[in-house]
Amino acid sequence: MPSTLTLFNLCCNSIMGTVVHKLPSFKFLNPTSSSSHYCSTTTTTRTSKTFRAGSRRRSFSISASASAVREDNPALGSLSLGHITRPDFPILHQEVNGSRLVYLDNAATSQKPTAVLNALQNYYEAYNSNVHRGIHYLSARATDEYELARKKVAAFINASDSGEIVFTKNATEAINLVAYSWGMSNLKPEDEVILTIAEHHSAIVPWQLVAQKTGAILKFASLNQDEAPDVDKLRQLFSRKTKIVVVHHVSNTLASVLPIEEIVLWAHDVGAKVLVDACQSVPHMVVNVQSLNVDFLVASSHKMCGPTGVGFLYGKSELLSAMPPFLGGGEMISDVFLDHSTYAEPPSRFEAGTPAIGEAIGLGAAIDYLSRLGMQKIHDYEIELAKYLYESLLSVPNIHVYGPAPSENVDRAALCSFNVENIHPTDIATFLDQQHGVAIRSGHHCAQPLHRHLGVNASARASLHFYNTKEDVDDFIQALNDTVNFFNSFK
Amino acid sequence: MPPKLQEIVKLFQSVQEPKAKYEQLLFYGKNLKPLETQFKTKDNKVEGCVSQVWVRAYLDSDNNVVFEADSDSVLTKGLAALLVNGLSGRPVNEVIRVSPDFAVLLGLQQSLTPSRNNGFLNMLRLMQKKALQLAVEAEKGENSGLKMDGSVENGNFGSNSDLGVEETPVGVTNSGLKVDSRDGNVNVELDSEVGGERNRVQSSNSGGLGSRGTRIKEKLESELSPVAIEVEDISYQHAGHAGVRGSDGETHFNVKVVSKEFEGKSLVKRHRLVYGLLQEELQSGLHALSIVAKTPSEVNGS
Repeated sequence: MPSTLTLFNLCCNSIMGTVVHKLPSFKFLNPTSSSSHYCSTTTTTRTSKTFRAGSRRRSFSISASASAVREDNPALGSLSLGHITRPDFPILHQEVNGSRLVYLDNAATSQKPTAVLNALQNYYEAYNSNVHRGIHYLSARATDEYELARKKVAAFINASDSGEIVFTKNATEAINLVAYSWGMSNLKPEDEVILTIAEHHSAIVPWQLVAQKTGAILKFASLNQDEAPDVDKLRQLFSRKTKIVVVHHVSNTLASVLPIEEIVLWAHDVGAKVLVDACQSVPHMVVNVQSLNVDFLVASSHKMCGPTGVGFLYGKSELLSAMPPFLGGGEMISDVFLDHSTYAEPPSRFEAGTPAIGEAIGLGAAIDYLSRLGMQKIHDYEIELAKYLYESLLSVPNIHVYGPAPSENVDRAALCSFNVENIHPTDIATFLDQQHGVAIRSGHHCAQPLHRHLGVNASARASLHFYNTKEDVDDFIQALNDTVNFFNSFK
Repeated sequence: MPPKLQEIVKLFQSVQEPKAKYEQLLFYGKNLKPLETQFKTKDNKVEGCVSQVWVRAYLDSDNNVVFEADSDSVLTKGLAALLVNGLSGRPVNEVIRVSPDFAVLLGLQQSLTPSRNNGFLNMLRLMQKKALQLAVEAEKGENSGLKMDGSVENGNFGSNSDLGVEETPVGVTNSGLKVDSRDGNVNVELDSEVGGERNRVQSSNSGGLGSRGTRIKEKLESELSPVAIEVEDISYQHAGHAGVRGSDGETHFNVKVVSKEFEGKSLVKRHRLVYGLLQEELQSGLHALSIVAKTPSEVNGS
């Protein structure tokens, strides 16, 4: 215990410049948010906001914790990844509606570290120029950096060649690319496309559109009783008619993780391709396309600490080579005549027009940042944070958290979609924002079929990233309890 | 701005603390008269809301527009209640002139976000749109003799010209008035406002069923090819109760159908068949159906 106190004092001294002594002697590890989670008549204002250092604002007090709180979890302590990286994200250090911003909407989009912002700014200040065709110095440099970013993406997901990375606007566009380019030329009437009901709309709608045109049929695997996609049922849907399987890696609502390696094995057994929506996995864990052996994989930059406006499609080179163009224009051609044109090799074949050059370079910088931290380290931290979030949420009365419970065999992503009985999620999200500065999301999270299956119109969702801390979760839970009490008092 | 709305704005301005504003909002919402399920239709749904919001509008006897609303989110319900309390009972042209800027004065930040989830603006717009629609229909109704809630019409008397407007009972809610026209179809509608003096009688022969009655008849005719069919509008028997007021009066029907389609089907199945064919009507204001479904052999034999 003395060592803990020392540690805390050290932190305090270096971070805060003062030392806290008004702490009772029971065990604690790190500064937490004001008042206990279990104080149901707590006011909405935070007490003890007396320690400020620089741009960081924190409130101090003790959380009177039950067994749910992992007090002795060093992973969540004051030297956690969250605490270490927070200074890199200037946007997090602000007040919203009079309270410290607690940003818990990372599944919707992530925040960007200064390194990425600098890379973007530097691009425009130093060498902005159009890529690939230019002769002059600036354009050569821009091209180099742009293609270097492509290599970084390839290395990040362990693609065998950077030519297997196609830059798109975002993951949605990447899925559309596969649907139109690969789907239109490979799907015939009665061919089957297998998905789960938990897919994001961007993984469903493009295939609906293509199925309408080609006569293919979409089939959906439902959930099991743990509220995770039923992998057995999914496998049972595979047959000789299956041409492609389109599934998420990590669900943005259920927080469940699909066993992609096995799914790919089963799919390849019946001669089907696999497209993985990795939007919620690539930013949070190691994703190795060669060991997963997927045929296609998509992700968005803005969810992995990169800028908006760029995303990518990974496709095995033999697949991409056989695919016709998606969008037509400059860059993707070889020769253009009046009556026909010839097309470039992939990836250029699928990159029509001037790309989001600065943004791609920004994505490269984000990948550098993430790699320096280490994806495994990020993943390990987020698993702990995920468990803490899940368990803390369960302490709220009348709450239902969707998706499987975390356990020895079941990892959950660091997000929780939930509903509190008799309170509309929008009311919760609004009050959390207005009265507590806590940012979560309410709605169907682009997964209407899933919500329909769960029997609700909407749910609230809190989603974390490696720069969130245990205090963020504590603040959220306290605010949530306050919110629930407010609305319950009106029944 | 309508006076009631001004009052509401003043009230909110006098409440400084944001939390107290929310409490006030919730209080309004709690006291809002709930909307009946039959009015929670697609037509009445406010678009672009993350929560579900419905708004219903009808004209009262003074041709003022009356609003009812509901939502599954209590904050949105509060906002809806604000609008209902502030705008209900006012003339149409006053309602449609209300500018959404007053929302700023309320000091409720959440009503101001310009995102597509701004239910408040959309609610107001829908209310104004409906008010306008009602006004337009009312004008049309007076011109062409169509039925309209609250208006007296004196056209459309078929062969029963002895039924003049003057002869109709006034202010009666449960009188039965039946007129048999030539071909055995009974179509009469007596709709009287509770306590009011307006009355509307439309006696008609087979061509004179109201629009819903006609639709019902046509649907059943085309789907069941009946040997005999009778569609009777008995809404007058239910006039005055909440479900009827505000709709165009066609809420309760007796339906008698003789058709081969019923052969081999149990009573329950026959009723289900008829209900199934009239789903659209049931979802848009048709309150109740009383069904007699027989096969030709049953009718002949008995």
